[in-house]
Amino acid sequence: MSNLEKYNNVFCETLQVEESQLKNLEYQGVELWDSVGHMTLMAALEDAFDIMLDTDDIVDFSSYEKGKEILKKYDVEF
Amino acid sequence: MMAEQSFSLDSVQILEYQPNRHPYLMFDKVIDVLPGKYCIGVKNLTNNEWFIPVHFPGDPCMPGFLQAEAMTQVCALTLLTMEGNKGKVVLLTGCDKLKLFKKVRPGDVMVIKTELLSYRHGIAKGKGKAYVDDKLVSECEMTFTLADSDERRMLTPKI
Repeated sequence: MSNLEKYNNVFCETLQVEESQLKNLEYQGVELWDSVGHMTLMAALEDAFDIMLDTDDIVDFSSYEKGKEILKKYDVEF
Repeated sequence: MMAEQSFSLDSVQILEYQPNRHPYLMFDKVIDVLPGKYCIGVKNLTNNEWFIPVHFPGDPCMPGFLQAEAMTQVCALTLLTMEGNKGKVVLLTGCDKLKLFKKVRPGDVMVIKTELLSYRHGIAKGKGKAYVDDKLVSECEMTFTLADSDERRMLTPKI
């Protein structure tokens, strides 16, 4: 499975969205991406990519696309 | 700095630390809890439980998902006994790897051993194992968070 597939799967499973919704998805853009959903999403990404996100990156992780930029800092290439 | 001490909680004291109440309180006391680490609780199952008449007539036993709830409630005390968390509401966000090995019946004493595996960004991951007569009857892993979490609030994107 590619990193993009893994990334998408985490989003779809955690936030219960379709892949077609991901491109423009932002924090609080769907009901499940609230403060609890955000932390659940961060924990799921950490598990999926075996990384530990810094506090600043968790706060900056405001959208699906922004998340891809952030994960590149952790050597996750898309 | 002194190492944190473990302690026990009786049936009254557990009400101070967590908000679940009868008939949804799924354990009776805590025999040992070390904040942030582990918690061991006890549930004495009786014929007076609300679910026994319906689960099942002629074959009374504790529903498996209520065993998972019992493990979660006990594990939550690893957080709720940490400084500043007493009495807060805990939200379950995930329950994985639930396995049910043996029926738990009225008269059984269920010993629930739980461990906090991690607590990062306000999200806790724990695991629990329940025993009757020293035999494993169920186990699961759970993810939960405090409903009112300053840490989680500070870590959410600002929009």
